[in-house]
Amino acid sequence: MSANYAPSTAFGRIINNFEETAIALILGLMTALTFINVILRYGFNSSIFWGLEASLALFAWLVLFGMSYAVKVTAHLGVDAIIGMVPKRTQRVMALISAVLCLIYAFLLLKGAWDYWAPFAGFQQTGGRWFPEGFIKTRDQGWYETETIPMPEWLRFIEGSFNAGEHYGKLPRFIPYFILPFGCFLLFFRFVQAAWELVQGKREALIVSHEAEDAIKDVRHMNAED
Amino acid sequence: MDILFLFAMVIGFMLIGVPIAISLGLSSIFFLLWFSDTSLASIAQTLYQAMEGHATLLAIPFFVLASSFMSTGGVAKRIIRFAIACVGHLPGGLAIAGVFACMLFAALSGSSPATVVAIGSIVIAAMRQVGYSKDFAAGVICNAGTLGILIPPSIVMVVYASATDVSVGRMFLAGVIPGLLAGFMLMATILGIAIVKSLPKGEWQGWGEVWQSFREAFWGLMLIAIIMVGLYGIPGVTTGIFTPTEAAAVAAVYAFFVANFIYRDMGPLQNDGGNVALWRKPHAVLTSFFHKDTKATLFEAGKLTITLMFIIANALILKHVLTDEQIPQKITEAMLGAGLGMITFLIIVNVILLIGGQFMEPSGLILIVAPLVFPIAIELGVDPIHLGIIMVVNMEIGMITPPVGLNLFVTSGVAGMPIMRVVRASLPFLAVLFVFLIMITYIPFLSTWLPTSIMGPETIIK
Repeated sequence: MSANYAPSTAFGRIINNFEETAIALILGLMTALTFINVILRYGFNSSIFWGLEASLALFAWLVLFGMSYAVKVTAHLGVDAIIGMVPKRTQRVMALISAVLCLIYAFLLLKGAWDYWAPFAGFQQTGGRWFPEGFIKTRDQGWYETETIPMPEWLRFIEGSFNAGEHYGKLPRFIPYFILPFGCFLLFFRFVQAAWELVQGKREALIVSHEAEDAIKDVRHMNAED
Repeated sequence: MDILFLFAMVIGFMLIGVPIAISLGLSSIFFLLWFSDTSLASIAQTLYQAMEGHATLLAIPFFVLASSFMSTGGVAKRIIRFAIACVGHLPGGLAIAGVFACMLFAALSGSSPATVVAIGSIVIAAMRQVGYSKDFAAGVICNAGTLGILIPPSIVMVVYASATDVSVGRMFLAGVIPGLLAGFMLMATILGIAIVKSLPKGEWQGWGEVWQSFREAFWGLMLIAIIMVGLYGIPGVTTGIFTPTEAAAVAAVYAFFVANFIYRDMGPLQNDGGNVALWRKPHAVLTSFFHKDTKATLFEAGKLTITLMFIIANALILKHVLTDEQIPQKITEAMLGAGLGMITFLIIVNVILLIGGQFMEPSGLILIVAPLVFPIAIELGVDPIHLGIIMVVNMEIGMITPPVGLNLFVTSGVAGMPIMRVVRASLPFLAVLFVFLIMITYIPFLSTWLPTSIMGPETIIK
């Protein structure tokens, strides 16, 4: 159940590189933004007034974007106490059931994420409680803005399609919220892949038992011989 | 009874190998769709709000990042050298130094497995070289490593504070005395064993080495000072400067500078044949930000944050279910109605957490159990800070209690020995930590004295 992942195709490498860079970059930005704000406040008695809201939105982006990556590289934490005790065949059956449950989770969340995001972007919510049963008429809430994050000038062109041509004073909410449907879609997609790998026998499980599994591999040689 | 079904689902899913986060989230979604009129959209919102609506939790990625820079930046080996210089000459010196190093590293990092990996990999090898058995070495590190979540800063404490609305600053302060106490109890036990079994002791290398190694380790240890002074100020000179989240961000940036420009064990100035001085390569000031090591460390910290926060976010969905169903109130009434006393209550909390702590990631478990027991604790007059420390210490012990303690697995990986041997090796020290748990549980003074005397008496809102 190692968390070793190596992309097999050139396209896979590009995507992997993009995902890793995005994760590093978002965390770097959050840290820089918070740090600069501390310096400004105590050193210069001023501040980036949208710093906190932007850091928190980036925080949400980090986690919601990264959750699908963690599926791909098998980094999600789980309990392998029982799995370790049962025979291989049972293990496989349990892994397949888990995959189905994960797919259900990702699917339900994707529907919820769309339904939550859609009105902010002027789209229609889906009907139905469990399954999307067609679209229903939804009040357009495209005019909802974030509290403090300024609207970049170069983004003004979206006002025509999302805000009926009205001027945005602040960044509209549908932009930070976009990570919800996008992240959930990626999550669903990665679980489909993972399930398929399980069926093909290329993957054994969806979980690692603890966060330090990679780090342990790096230091194992130091105490390997008995 | 619906709620028992909910927990049965969570545990069942977890045991067949569904990721912890998804076990929590999916069970809650099923429950909400069946038994309430909550929509999927509002569940998705809860997930987003887990990050966007919790400024306190924002401290987690920053603490994780600080600890990553410190680990890759080579602070572990410098701390170990300092620890050996200080206590290495005592009987069982290297083992005591291992505990001491774990305590110092715990003060830089918020996680127990990280402490075991960073300190354990070096110290276990060193101990075997001078003639300790591998079992003894593994047992020591496995236990001492759990201090990671008790000695501040601690991610688990941030989560507890966020779940119960107590101050993070108080929780951190409350962890100081128990953390030191646990460390000293472990050291005293080792000293005792060492004298009886006449374990090897090192040479006293003189004050010169103590000073030298301290100067080396100083830059790493300064991180503790920055966090503490930032949070609480210097008595008589200044009051606290940062919020915990800001302190964490400052700590992360500081760790980045120490790793890249002072220790130079990573980044553009790193060189296997002796690290390059900054004046020889001044453009490193800029390139360090984009260096592959910096990216790799940011990425590793990001990945860990993602897996932790994904669990926390899903635990928040479950917490949402519990509050909606008014479970905390119901349990409180039932418990108080049954004439539950403070002592029985604390024992129940201990048992729940010891069992839960074996399976669950500590932050997720705290987030679920804290809202359930918190109202009862307040009714019974248990101090919220004290309750927090009890919960953290229980998590620690859960991590090293067989059959499935988390630290046991990590140590077994680091030391390259079977899990059952680690279990046997850590038993004597586990007994010490049990005594420690009983002390912490029934002597509230140990946890509450320091925060009360520095930050004044707390106001408890029922």
